[in-house]
Amino acid sequence: SNWLYLAKLSSVGSISEEETCEKLKGLIQRQVQMCKRNLEVMDSVRRGAQLAIEECQYQFRNRRWNCSTLDTLPVFGKVVTQGTREAAFVYAISSAGVAFAVTRACSSGELDKCGCDRTVQGGSPQGFQWSGCSDNIAYGVAFSQSFVDVRERSKGASSNRALMNLHNNEAGRKAILNNMRVECKCHGVSGSCEFKTCWKAMPPFRKVGNVLKEKFDGATEVEQSEIGSTKVLVPKNSQFKPHTDEDLVYLDSSPDFCDHDLKNGVLGTSGRQCNKTSKAIDGCELMCCGRGFHTDEVEVVERCSCKFHWCCSVKCKPCHRVVEIHTCR
Amino acid sequence: VPYMSVKCIDVRKNHHKTKWLMPWGPNHCEKLKDFDEAVSRQIEANDIVFAVHIPLPSKEMSPWFQFMLFIMQLDIAFKMDNDLKENAEITLDVSLAYRDDMFNDWEEIAHAIEIRKLKCTFGSPKTLESEGRHYDCDFLPFMEIGSVAHKYYLINIRLPVNERKGINVGIGEVKDIRLVGIHQNGGFTKVWFAMKTFLTPSILIIMVWYWRRITLMTRAPVLLEKVIFALGISMTFINIPVEWFSIGFDWTWMLLFGDIRQGIFYAMLLSFWIIFCGEHMMDQNERNRLSGYWKQVGPIAVGSFCLFIFDMCERGVQLKNPFYSIWTTEVGTELAMAFIIVAGICLCLYFLFLCFMVFQVFRNISGKQSSLPAMSKARRLHYEGLIFRFKFLMLITLACAAMTVIFFIVSQVTEGHWKWGDITIQVNSAFFTGIYGMWNLYVFALMFLYAPSHKNYGEDQSNGDLGVSSGEELQLTTTITHVDGPTEVYKLARKEAQE
Repeated sequence: SNWLYLAKLSSVGSISEEETCEKLKGLIQRQVQMCKRNLEVMDSVRRGAQLAIEECQYQFRNRRWNCSTLDTLPVFGKVVTQGTREAAFVYAISSAGVAFAVTRACSSGELDKCGCDRTVQGGSPQGFQWSGCSDNIAYGVAFSQSFVDVRERSKGASSNRALMNLHNNEAGRKAILNNMRVECKCHGVSGSCEFKTCWKAMPPFRKVGNVLKEKFDGATEVEQSEIGSTKVLVPKNSQFKPHTDEDLVYLDSSPDFCDHDLKNGVLGTSGRQCNKTSKAIDGCELMCCGRGFHTDEVEVVERCSCKFHWCCSVKCKPCHRVVEIHTCR
Repeated sequence: VPYMSVKCIDVRKNHHKTKWLMPWGPNHCEKLKDFDEAVSRQIEANDIVFAVHIPLPSKEMSPWFQFMLFIMQLDIAFKMDNDLKENAEITLDVSLAYRDDMFNDWEEIAHAIEIRKLKCTFGSPKTLESEGRHYDCDFLPFMEIGSVAHKYYLINIRLPVNERKGINVGIGEVKDIRLVGIHQNGGFTKVWFAMKTFLTPSILIIMVWYWRRITLMTRAPVLLEKVIFALGISMTFINIPVEWFSIGFDWTWMLLFGDIRQGIFYAMLLSFWIIFCGEHMMDQNERNRLSGYWKQVGPIAVGSFCLFIFDMCERGVQLKNPFYSIWTTEVGTELAMAFIIVAGICLCLYFLFLCFMVFQVFRNISGKQSSLPAMSKARRLHYEGLIFRFKFLMLITLACAAMTVIFFIVSQVTEGHWKWGDITIQVNSAFFTGIYGMWNLYVFALMFLYAPSHKNYGEDQSNGDLGVSSGEELQLTTTITHVDGPTEVYKLARKEAQE
């Protein structure tokens, strides 16, 4: 997942020259080569990484591990380099993020290479005339497969970590593919349903995040096993239902994320805000791991009675309000 | 084809309509990644242009696409303090331009300010938690063009904000505008054209043959014959591949024209069924005049007239303003609904009449059948022929109608469970061509089988004399049977079966 470091490289500007590829931190050699070959796509990859991190932080905002990133490599600290649930989620959301962002860029015409699904297999304008084209999701997924999975593939897909990562990457992309919305439009005589055209539209990325979060909560712990000569992952507890392509799998159990432990890249929960009334994981009891919490009264300036435009302009009055903020010890 | 609009910044202070903003390619516009960037750069809503280039890079549009239809989808995010108002309306400042060369200037086709109603629902509770989730919005009709004569099209959309007039206030936080373009596949168009070109002469030939048969008769053609002939004409009218011209010329009225042609054919077909039933009633009433059927044909006329008006309002106005849609305004929707409801009522009325008539015919048939053995040979032959041809037509009509309905349902269902593959699309196209071909065959068979026979002319004459002399059957002259009909019918039925 080191390539997610791309998201942090906002200073680089747009990736438009081959030399930039070499300078990008976190990419392995094969990815640098891909970068050089697909320069125009790299901006979307970066956008995908940003999307993934934003979504991860949104989904985990109330948990002990809140998907916080470091400014150094590895991006998420050691947690994600181990085979934990959290790692499973990060891999899934990041491969989904790339597929999403590339597909989107295709639809807005930023990429020359795609534009119409069929060109993945090398189509022609003739093909476009004959069969039209669907959403560009196939290109996005294919690119995500070749770019994100390359790390695991180059190691040889034999280690159980590689198998786990590949599985979770695929699960992330499946979260998009299986949640595509089918939309239809009738356009017969006077708009009657004599002719009907249907197409598939990508779900909003928030939806993808929600799906993956659910999968995270129901993730399966697996271990490696050999069936014939191929190595596969099977549930550790054989009484559990075997996992499907869409489920997340993990190998190691997660730490409790309570204490600050830089060696393992765990930031700990001290200093985190918590919810005094909640009994769930965002409640102070659980969040602070029983260490107790401070309560401060803080005056916050909020915007109120705002007038919004659909974009870019907000006229508000500042309002002062006193709120209690609870932070973990 | 899904398109994602690109958010451009119009940097010029006063918005002249002369400049077009390109989403990509050389000299593309200055892009915005998202609106947070716009907030930080203090760009106003009025300076943001959503630009869409059609088609996507390295593709070209072609006249074979026949038409272009665009629908718009807004991605509106939920924000606690910037909620979407009930019955919000969005005002769009849209313009459309074309060019045939990558390096030419854009030529404007249309420019309009359109108001669309937003129909959005929000799945989750409206709390702080679900901020940033998207509303579930119905898509909006955006644009319809009846010809694709140019290679490249460009759409520029603005959402102007005017607080004093309340324009675009309370429409939530618009994140993105997506367009979906629908056009006919070029390949399908080619197959379709080929079919029409092939069918036109065959129907035309049988029509000429049919008319010759009629003129060979010494009497004037009867109503049923005229109606069949009219049906042939309307079929030919539909068949004539005038669409060939749309490849060469920029005829945007092609869609409207096609609708009208189809409407005429349907009206003709429905009238034919009524008149056919009426002429086989075998009662004493003298019909043989269109005025005798005013009760049944009236609803057809009213219904098709309503649909015609509706179509003129929708597609007719779209000739001038491709962004127009009758459904966007309150009055327009009511008007459109009114037209459609009236047409629907007419159709129901028509089917009631038709069913009633068919029932009557069957009652008469069973009545006549019981008295058949007692009749003289000539009259028996006459009635048997009448009954036979009525039943035969009934059968093939029902078969054709059933096939059409089945195919229609199948095509709707398969699209409900859509799989993106060549197979599904081609199956649907095959359905359409199949149905079209079937109705052509129907009209063809009708003219072929129900042409008055010159061979048995003399016999018919005597039949007529007999009927008139007995003073019972005035309509005998109007329904001339051909005794060798059955063999011809069987021959054709065999042929059809082989096909």
